[in-house]
Amino acid sequence: MKRNPDMEKPSSGSIDELLNSFIDGELMAGQQTEVERLIAQDAKIAQRLRQMQQCKILVGSLPDTEAPAEVLEGIKTSLAGKTPSAVEQTWDEWAAKKYFLVRRVLSAAAMIGLVALLAAVVYTIVAPRPITEEPVVIEDRQPPEKVEVIGPRHGVVTAMRFSGRLELKTSTLIAVDAFINRTIEDNGLLDSNDSARRQDKRIYPLSCSRQDLNLLLAELGNIWSELNSATLFIDTEVFGKQVVVDEVTPEQIVEIINQNSPEKRIELAKDFAAFNNIAKHVPGREIMAAIEGRNRSLITIPRPVLTGKQGTIRKPVGRADDKETVHLTIIVNW
Amino acid sequence: MTEAANMNIRRRQASNERINIDDAVLVEQSRRGDSEAMERLILKYQNRIYNVILKICADPDDAAELTQETFVKIIENLNKFEGRSGFYTWAFRIAVNLTLSYRQRSAKLALRSLDAEEEHYDSQSRQVLKDFLSDDSSPDPAAVVQNKELCEIVVKAMMKLDDAQRAVVVLRDIEGMNYARIAEVLDIELGTVRSRLSRARSKLRDILEAFLQ
Repeated sequence: MKRNPDMEKPSSGSIDELLNSFIDGELMAGQQTEVERLIAQDAKIAQRLRQMQQCKILVGSLPDTEAPAEVLEGIKTSLAGKTPSAVEQTWDEWAAKKYFLVRRVLSAAAMIGLVALLAAVVYTIVAPRPITEEPVVIEDRQPPEKVEVIGPRHGVVTAMRFSGRLELKTSTLIAVDAFINRTIEDNGLLDSNDSARRQDKRIYPLSCSRQDLNLLLAELGNIWSELNSATLFIDTEVFGKQVVVDEVTPEQIVEIINQNSPEKRIELAKDFAAFNNIAKHVPGREIMAAIEGRNRSLITIPRPVLTGKQGTIRKPVGRADDKETVHLTIIVNW
Repeated sequence: MTEAANMNIRRRQASNERINIDDAVLVEQSRRGDSEAMERLILKYQNRIYNVILKICADPDDAAELTQETFVKIIENLNKFEGRSGFYTWAFRIAVNLTLSYRQRSAKLALRSLDAEEEHYDSQSRQVLKDFLSDDSSPDPAAVVQNKELCEIVVKAMMKLDDAQRAVVVLRDIEGMNYARIAEVLDIELGTVRSRLSRARSKLRDILEAFLQ
């Protein structure tokens, strides 16, 4: 059992307590006076007082010892890892806030950049493209007002231009050849003429405007009486299939060429073919004479008329169609 | 009691009064993280706390370690310091409690060590002590300080006191605390301080006289 130091001398120490309190100045004024009186009257008490004082002096006279220098360093070292100072804490908090602020700004910038990039990509995908090219499908093109619609059938990629072959037979090949050459030169079609001369025929492949071809055919009408026959072969949309018009006249050729659509061109050519075939077998030759221009009032070739809801639109003067390139190969045989 | 000893105690007591005012500022600055104030607080008390601990445990290495541990605990618990007592009292309470706890753990070892060294005092030191204790005139503390062996005898004698008694003696006669502050530091009654101190001095006297036998 542990010994209680306060219980060693439970009763006999009261005078010692008083003396020690006296020495230490811990007595009230009255007690102080009483102890002084006791000391003065009792030699034993005075001696005891000196003994207590000697103990106090001995202990109090022990030299003070300074703490080793390493104590302070040890304290700093111990505290460094345990309790950061508030200054460091404040600095750390500020640094942490700054770090998170910078991170937020960078994150926001990255997000904005990403959104902008995505927007650019999406815009590239879904934005309407500017019309810089000609529409591929004609049916999508809106025709201008007051302009004759040259309407190809559905699915036709481009309007088929006139292309045909005119075979002329004559017994005076040289004269006819010379006339045709001169006429081609006079109409300025020399560049486009790539004629070929063979022993029994002359070939004139022409690629010129419709207007030029009309003028050329008008000129050729002057020698039409010198021809034994004139047959027009018109190319159709079907490759290798042609519409043949026998006994064709320059006026008929012009009419056919001037048609604005292949369908009308073919239809008119068939009409002319049938008409010419009938006229060839009709006696009297009045009709033929009329065809040949000797009596034009006798017969009037009906012009094709559009029967759809769309009314016939007159061609504007000087329209580009007159300059449309047509292909006609004139072959002169004997 | 000599005038020199009284002046020494009065100087410490006056210092304790000034401490309270300065401590409040330093403590508040330390709480805000002022490391300089913290260092000033340590430098201000480290020698006194080390000295008290050394006189209680009598081992310089242990005293240094306990002093370091005391200040670490003080700084760590600075925010818990409520100010009901002065910082000085609070700091010494931590120091003494740590030291007494350490002493309890190593009490047997210390006693064995003391017993082993008991026979090594020479006759000259014994004579000085005999003269000192038998002198009816006022003893001279300076003579005690100059006699190194006499100091060692006193320290050894103090180590024969109970730790609780020794703590009271050290706080009163070395640190110069009044009874009320000792009671606050040790968390005991004022009357207990009075009686314990009386018995401690009486016992110390007996121990010292026993050295002369």
